[in-house]
Amino acid sequence: MQRKTFYGFSAPSLVMMGALMAFPLLMSIWLGMNFMTFRNIQTPEFIWFRNFGEVLTDTQFWQSMRFTLIYMVVTIPIQLGLGFGIALLLDQVTRLRGLFMAALLLPFVVVPVVGAMLFRSMFDPSGIITWFFRDILDQRFFFTEGSIKAVIIIHALWYITPFVVVVLFAGLQSLPSDQIEAAEVDGAKWYQSIRYVVIPHLRSLFLFISLMLIMDAYRVFDSVFVLTGNNPIFKADTVQVYNFEVGLQVQRLGKANAMAVLTVIGVLIVLIPFLIMTYRNQIADRE
Amino acid sequence: MRNLRAFRPLGLVLALMLIAAACGSDEADPTTTTAAPVTTTTAAPTTTTEAVMDDDGMEETTTTTAATTTTAAPTTTTEAPMMMVSDECAISAPDSAVTINMIGWTFDIMEFYADELEKCNGENVEVNTQLLQYQDARDQMLLDLTSGGTSAYEIVHGANGEISEFGSQGLVVRLNDLVEKYWDEYNLGDISQTAWDGATFDGGIYGVPVVSNTQHLMYRPDLYEKYGLSVPASYDDVINSCNVMRDEASIDLPFVMNLHAGSAWDVWFLHFFRGFGGGNYLNPDNTPAVNSPEGVAAVAKIKEVIDACMGAQGLTYDYNAVQLGLQTGGVASSTLWASRAAAMDNPDESDFVGGIEFAVAPSPMPGGPAGASAWNDFLMIPASADVDPEIIFQIIMEAVDAESQLGAAEVGIPTRDSAANAGVGGRYLPAAAESVANGIGIFAPNPAVRLMRNALGNQLPLVGTGEKTPEQALSDAVDEYLVEARAQEFVS
Repeated sequence: MQRKTFYGFSAPSLVMMGALMAFPLLMSIWLGMNFMTFRNIQTPEFIWFRNFGEVLTDTQFWQSMRFTLIYMVVTIPIQLGLGFGIALLLDQVTRLRGLFMAALLLPFVVVPVVGAMLFRSMFDPSGIITWFFRDILDQRFFFTEGSIKAVIIIHALWYITPFVVVVLFAGLQSLPSDQIEAAEVDGAKWYQSIRYVVIPHLRSLFLFISLMLIMDAYRVFDSVFVLTGNNPIFKADTVQVYNFEVGLQVQRLGKANAMAVLTVIGVLIVLIPFLIMTYRNQIADRE
Repeated sequence: MRNLRAFRPLGLVLALMLIAAACGSDEADPTTTTAAPVTTTTAAPTTTTEAVMDDDGMEETTTTTAATTTTAAPTTTTEAPMMMVSDECAISAPDSAVTINMIGWTFDIMEFYADELEKCNGENVEVNTQLLQYQDARDQMLLDLTSGGTSAYEIVHGANGEISEFGSQGLVVRLNDLVEKYWDEYNLGDISQTAWDGATFDGGIYGVPVVSNTQHLMYRPDLYEKYGLSVPASYDDVINSCNVMRDEASIDLPFVMNLHAGSAWDVWFLHFFRGFGGGNYLNPDNTPAVNSPEGVAAVAKIKEVIDACMGAQGLTYDYNAVQLGLQTGGVASSTLWASRAAAMDNPDESDFVGGIEFAVAPSPMPGGPAGASAWNDFLMIPASADVDPEIIFQIIMEAVDAESQLGAAEVGIPTRDSAANAGVGGRYLPAAAESVANGIGIFAPNPAVRLMRNALGNQLPLVGTGEKTPEQALSDAVDEYLVEARAQEFVS
């Protein structure tokens, strides 16, 4: 492809990305360098990097970052493992596969905040979980710091795993059956086929899904906000929830923007190894 | 391709849904009415029939009514014909078309007022109302009012906090002149003085009071009789009744006060702080006044109530859970918002219709004021609205006139004395009125108090879990407040 043609094709997407991604990010950096509340929103005061320093020394920010990282480290491997397992099982289903697929996709179709509210209602005093604990187990269920964090993680598994299933299931459809058959002829056990044939085939998809899940985990908001009801006793604020509190409750708009920029930088740092791996994969595929 | 066939029915359903959605929207029928001949500009009484609410979903309730076309009959007098907006909105029609967009948060009585506002759809006036969840509505109006340019709204809903917050920044219109001008025409002296006080900041009236609210005791008399307990007059009595009812098998909790979030703690702290003789959260120079013996006594008493009555379980009960607990018998008593009392007698929701009694809110300190505050909701006019504020004010007044408020009394507490004392409405009204009369008054209007409330909301819940002592929590709240108050130049 000629260089001119290449630029011609890529220019529209570069312009769109610039308008939708680079400009807002640059704007956030600039806003983060201003002292701005709703009171002085028309005349913000330029204060260089003071907001960024304030965020980095804010203990509540680090507490929210800690829970965000715990959420990420716990949920992503389980989502990947569970999603892969369900995709493998679904691949074996020959009848009513569409029905199973549609049922699996339901949590992913529900609007996130509605899904979180439905989830929360199960734990209300009249909810089914509370009833189960009270009438079947003869115990009382109520939210504590530990139980609410567990529920947030379970909600993430319920909501995100279908995405993993769909992507991996699609990948499994492109796996040539002769490779599996060859492995079987060579005497490979089922788990060896998965380890040496299926997983290598899906490697690039695992990388793609991991990238998406990391970004999703970093920006988790709806479920935490709805399930915790913003109650500080649960210490379950994520970075995005705390960002919301700083921006709209304390009304420190500049500080909230600084926090958003630092969050983007944090995400990039976590994603860099995955981006490098994806790039190497693509190069290897071409060769 | 074979697999794709399975998705065909799904595709068909989606296509049908899209067609239905396209055909079904914006379907309100235009209504044509003929106005009676009009010869004067005196407002005629409006007819208030309760309208059906449109509930569009869990997140928000949006009600939009199509404009009503009114054709005025020829006048038979020599006076210049005066066109009214509509039969139910007896104000002069503006010379050119205006659109009035209202935003607020949803609860029964506000939905009633939204319907009343929409009765002013008519000649040259189109009224649209949008009621969302509280936080969504507040965020949206805050962004709209502060971002410069013309406001997207002509009427915004606010509570006591918004009066000082918006009024101090000049974001809403100072209504003193309009209130004075229309005082007699709309009998504004009928609205209680407490409500007008709540609408006032630094001498300026920034909102029309439309709703009153307070908290009072709701309890199951059968259990109190069973254990020979009298209705608690103080929180010491509440603690005593909790100790007596501790082993009652038919209930989950003997008493709950809503402490499910930081903002809820702040409300109860206000009651107890004032109940123990404290004043405002902030001194005149905006330095904090909460870390005092009264403040410590207030938090300590709340903690006593938690330990005796609620435990960790009760700390997670939000307003809905408390209401449901009372309606299903799981909660024996609670001090709850009066706006939720009518639901106790709703047979569609409650197992205890007529079985929940109401009483004045208990006093934090025996013999002291009742632990209840007077709250109001207001309708305000953004300073950046591009419609004449006088027209907007008249439309608001038509929606909250004496007849409208009589209807509003069925679903909440109105602000007009004539409506509140008309004998209309629920059994709870005497308890609510007594709680306001003997309560701790209104929240002191101060734009900096928002930061103090936020800090208290972050720190006080940690007393409930035993992680902090009252002294520590108040000290930390003061430190947290001062950091922000200095940054935002409320404190030097």
